[in-house]
Amino acid sequence: MEIFVQSVVSGVLTGSLYAMIAIGLTIVFGVMRIINLAHGEMVMLGMFGAYWSYTLWGIDPFVSILIWSPLMFLVGMAIHRFLLRDVIPKGELNTLLYTAGLSLFVANLALFFWTGDYRTLNLPYAQWPVRPFGIAVPIALAIAFCMAIAITTALYLLLSRTDIGRAIRATAQNSQSAALMGVNVKRIDTITFGVGTALAAAAGVLLVPSLYLYPTVGEILITKCFVIVVLGGLGSVPGAIAGAILLGLVESLGAVYVSVAYKDTIGFVLFLLVLLFRPSGLFGVGRS
Amino acid sequence: MSHKSKILAVLSLSLALSSGGLAQETLKIGAPQPMTGPDAPFGDKFQKAYSMAVEEINAKGGVNGRKIEVIIEDHQAKNPLAATVAEKLITQNQVLVLTGGRASGQAVEIASVAQRLKTPYMVDHPSADIITSKGFEWVFRNNPTGSIYPEAFNKFIVDVPGAMPKSAAVVYDNTVFGKTIANSVMTFLKSKNVPIVNDEAYPVNSLDFKPIMTKVKGNNPDFVLLVAVSTTDAILMTRHAKEMGVAPRAFVGFGGGFGVVDFAKQLGPLSENVFSSAAWSGNPNEAATKEFYAKFKAKYGFLPKEHEVEGYAAIYIIADALKRAKLTGNVDADREAVRQSLLQTDMTTVFGKIKFGNWDGPLGDKYTNQNTYSREHSVLAQWKAGELLNVWPKSNAETGYVFPDVALVR
Repeated sequence: MEIFVQSVVSGVLTGSLYAMIAIGLTIVFGVMRIINLAHGEMVMLGMFGAYWSYTLWGIDPFVSILIWSPLMFLVGMAIHRFLLRDVIPKGELNTLLYTAGLSLFVANLALFFWTGDYRTLNLPYAQWPVRPFGIAVPIALAIAFCMAIAITTALYLLLSRTDIGRAIRATAQNSQSAALMGVNVKRIDTITFGVGTALAAAAGVLLVPSLYLYPTVGEILITKCFVIVVLGGLGSVPGAIAGAILLGLVESLGAVYVSVAYKDTIGFVLFLLVLLFRPSGLFGVGRS
Repeated sequence: MSHKSKILAVLSLSLALSSGGLAQETLKIGAPQPMTGPDAPFGDKFQKAYSMAVEEINAKGGVNGRKIEVIIEDHQAKNPLAATVAEKLITQNQVLVLTGGRASGQAVEIASVAQRLKTPYMVDHPSADIITSKGFEWVFRNNPTGSIYPEAFNKFIVDVPGAMPKSAAVVYDNTVFGKTIANSVMTFLKSKNVPIVNDEAYPVNSLDFKPIMTKVKGNNPDFVLLVAVSTTDAILMTRHAKEMGVAPRAFVGFGGGFGVVDFAKQLGPLSENVFSSAAWSGNPNEAATKEFYAKFKAKYGFLPKEHEVEGYAAIYIIADALKRAKLTGNVDADREAVRQSLLQTDMTTVFGKIKFGNWDGPLGDKYTNQNTYSREHSVLAQWKAGELLNVWPKSNAETGYVFPDVALVR
């Protein structure tokens, strides 16, 4: 029983961090219908930001998230406004290739400046886990989980209660009707991309005390998140969260009860099964 | 001048110039290494080791008056890329001999290419037995094989009273390296009737070891044996094992990741008392080896371990072979000459004695051109206060061992 609870706890905790990365990806797709292959690199930049601000200035990553997330929001907006906005109307394939190129560019720029050495961020207060009821809960991961919930709640409030949030949802539903209702679609696109990037960076900051970082870490993370986003339904935020937690749980339980070597396979089999019965994902909107 | 004689003049001039240039041409050694990607820190170690050896040899006049040069090509720890860059080094750069590779997965590819394109490959670090047990006459190896790695650990549990494990959990990566080592360890343990309670292969470069460690904890093993070809896996595995509360009498790590200084740097107190098997880096009780450690530390600021010593020794072995070989300038003939020369190798480096031969490994693999002294090149080391020190066998020990491990779950 203890093993089962431990697996569930570990799966949910890990899944929550995947969720943060996936939400950013899915929002950008929902509003702009573009698949941002450079999303993993935005996470990587957040991770490095947290690493440097901790190593150079001693700022705890759970505090520096307040610096990096807004900063990356601006960076995201700039990337959209100056790099992506004029490429998007030229077609989905062009945009896809463009973001792929951007991903390579950012990853290699980071490699050039920060070298291929992998680094870890060790928080002195997070050395040993807490053990409520004998279940090991790593401290850094637990704090990250709570902050991820807080950020997701804030996002939910933004999307449902504010005008900008409503404008974003309207553009995601139907950009032409939204324009007719007076929404400045171009501005909303830029803001949404900024939000997506800010979320990615926030996920990176939260992840870095529990993982390791090097310039090409984006590759590994983004593959998992694509599966999650499609599993949950492209464009659906609840879908991304559900997909992430589900995948985290399945991998954790699958590793313990079925086989460690095949844990990724189990995740993919689940993915295929869901798509078989619900082609647009768990919470998918059904649009192409 | 007529048109014909102009051409003749140009041709003879260029011939004269090129043959004059040949005498000053460097002797090229090719080395595929991971310079970017998750294994980049290892590539960096080899680069430092090679350049130190090259500098020293060239400063003493080179090999028969010619300078040597190591050309490193990045394979990013990807197997197909390793084959590609090996081919490039052989066909485009026209190297006389290859070394390097780093991980066994890549080395297997490089060995195939070297054998096919008839270029000697002097393996300095990759350990999978299969590299020297396919009967490839163009492949040589100085370092011990994966099945020899655990020899010192095997001796430890047999010789030290009470050290025989009552049960063992074996967690290993799913690459050629991981499977070879795990197989070797498990075969020995089974021969001593030790029950293997966990036999887990994980995908290399995993992000999360908590599920595996939860499973391992459930079986409460007496010993936990961890195999990791990648440093990030070694570090994350150990961290998650301790976080999940796995508390065996000993953690034993096999693989490069457990033998590098980053292990202790990133894990801090979590690395205390973890054993590292196979980190043979020369006998620290020998004068020449001690001198090399001091020289290396003075130049680069950290103590060399297995990778640096192997890389350094490899260049010296190759230089020795190049010296004895009769080089004519014809690349194909020269490569054969180097191969013949390597077969006659009989020397001592800071790594240890070396003589290539054909013999049978501990698991029955038939080795060709494997260092006949390899069985002596296995040592059990332990992490103590951030330093990796040899603890067994006593002749190679730098300090006493700590067993059982008491500093675990809080």
